[in-house]
Amino acid sequence: MNMLEYEIVLKIKIIYGVQGMSSWSMYWTFTKKAFLRSSVYRFEVWSRTGSNIIFLLMWGSIWTALYAGRDEAGGVTFTAMLTYIVVSQFLDGVNEAGTPLWEIQEKVRTGDISLELMRPFDVPLRYLFADFGSVAFYMITALLPLYLVIFYFLDLALPTNWLTWVYFIISACIGFLIRYCVEMTFGLLTFFLVETGGIEDIFYFAMSLLSGSVIPLWFFPSWLETIAVYLPFQAIFFMPISIFIGETTGGEVFTSLGLQLFWLFVCYLVLRMVWNRASHKVVVQGG
Amino acid sequence: MSIIEVNNLQKEFMIAKRETGLVGALKSLVKREFVKKEAVKDISFSIEKGEMVGYIGPNGAGKSTTIKMLTGILVPSAGQVTVNGIVPYENRQENAKSIGVVFGQRTQLWWDLPTIESFELLKAIYRVTDQRYKENMSIFQEILGLDEFINTPVRQLSLGQRMRADIAASLLHDPPILFLDEPTIGLDVVAKEKMRTFIQEINKEKEVTVILTTHDMEDIEKLCQRMVLIDHGQKVYDGDILAVKERFGKMRTLVVDLEDANSSFHIKGGELCKQEGNRYWLRFNRNEVSASDLITQISQTHNIKDLTVEEPDIESIISRIYQEGFIEKQTVKG
Repeated sequence: MNMLEYEIVLKIKIIYGVQGMSSWSMYWTFTKKAFLRSSVYRFEVWSRTGSNIIFLLMWGSIWTALYAGRDEAGGVTFTAMLTYIVVSQFLDGVNEAGTPLWEIQEKVRTGDISLELMRPFDVPLRYLFADFGSVAFYMITALLPLYLVIFYFLDLALPTNWLTWVYFIISACIGFLIRYCVEMTFGLLTFFLVETGGIEDIFYFAMSLLSGSVIPLWFFPSWLETIAVYLPFQAIFFMPISIFIGETTGGEVFTSLGLQLFWLFVCYLVLRMVWNRASHKVVVQGG
Repeated sequence: MSIIEVNNLQKEFMIAKRETGLVGALKSLVKREFVKKEAVKDISFSIEKGEMVGYIGPNGAGKSTTIKMLTGILVPSAGQVTVNGIVPYENRQENAKSIGVVFGQRTQLWWDLPTIESFELLKAIYRVTDQRYKENMSIFQEILGLDEFINTPVRQLSLGQRMRADIAASLLHDPPILFLDEPTIGLDVVAKEKMRTFIQEINKEKEVTVILTTHDMEDIEKLCQRMVLIDHGQKVYDGDILAVKERFGKMRTLVVDLEDANSSFHIKGGELCKQEGNRYWLRFNRNEVSASDLITQISQTHNIKDLTVEEPDIESIISRIYQEGFIEKQTVKG
């Protein structure tokens, strides 16, 4: 490989965030340290768990009221719907344990994120791996115990086939990565805007409604469903939960996973594009 | 080749002009006008391995813009920079391995974790071997006394401790070059002294090249032999600190306490610049008249109770350079 080729390969690696094998242990250290850091904030774990339970109760009772004693609505049983909400709240807990949007915005605003440019690592990957640590801590200490109890005591439609569990976990993981890409992208837009309130509104609107986290897509009016289907947000909540409750079965599972991978690919590319633009802006205009 | 080479470095920013008033606000929604701001106009210098250089200038002179270009997080508009043989902005991550950076105003440590955790993280980031890590940590612990607080979360450290931890963190990967941006800001006298001793020590023992930006002239006086002074994005002076003192430091002040406080007196060669009660401040040019001449003159007509001769500190010299400009810079240079 001559010098020019070497440089081109290096450029491509930087643009797409490609890492050599030896780098992973460094990123893994971020995971470990973030795990430790989460343990410092025990009160946050409690308050987050508290609000998670409150939202679970709220959506649970709203859907109970909407079903009004019926066993089925729109071809979906009440048990399946209740399961949908429980799983959705669980995934919501997982996703919320990552670096929140406002924190990314804050890091951009204070310039902390630009300073990380002078370190020998890829910034978006570094935050992703740190998020793994925070999520792992929250899962182990709060989410898993809580939801094991809920699954045990509530009469829910749990998958009977172990493969469904496997597909659900894969799907939920892809969903998490998509959410990370989207949230990071929205956060990095702070580089280009003076005022970011609008960005937040769009993000939280999309995350709560278009993702299907509180209302499954099949209850959407058809025009809204069409919009939601053509956006990546449904791949974060709706797709994995549909696998879990058995709405998506058989070959559809693979179509669904394929679509998620497609969205992950697209969202990752968009994130890289925005990140490269943002870091370019920093190095040219000084942030 | 010098370890740091800067040639005709320039950096200009485009800053969005803010229109005033409602009409202006609407106009700027559609079309924004930009104003060009030259932060660094034309700066050249080279720094040899093992040098300690004070890089100073008033706020907004272009100091941090230059440092940012040296660290690779800013691309110059024109001119060349090489740091340890690397063009920083072209190869930021590679450059990162050969520099250590300390910002007095920010920390690179993880706020919520015990200090040791941040060190371990940096060890992984810079791929410091276990052996090297152990060696460096024992040196830092010895000189900086890190062990007193190594298990304390960073947010609970005193400012002095935090700065000590920060500078140790920046040197963990043995960078040949160290950028220090206000490393003693906000520290008390003892902590400042500790910090300076450490910087001197690592400069001597590890031959670390140090670039220091600061507003504390004592830092410069105690640490650097050379200073680069910039103002309005241009180099005003580059050379020996002693030479600056020589050039601008020839003015001395004689402070005398007299027994009889009333008489306005005229002393040849001395200019009365201040009077408080029976204490008088007389400014004089060391090359034209000696302090003992002045004292003799005064003692002929007055009884002197006490006296001191004040030497100007670099700070007052620099403020004079800013005000008057460094007119004879060519002759003093070098």
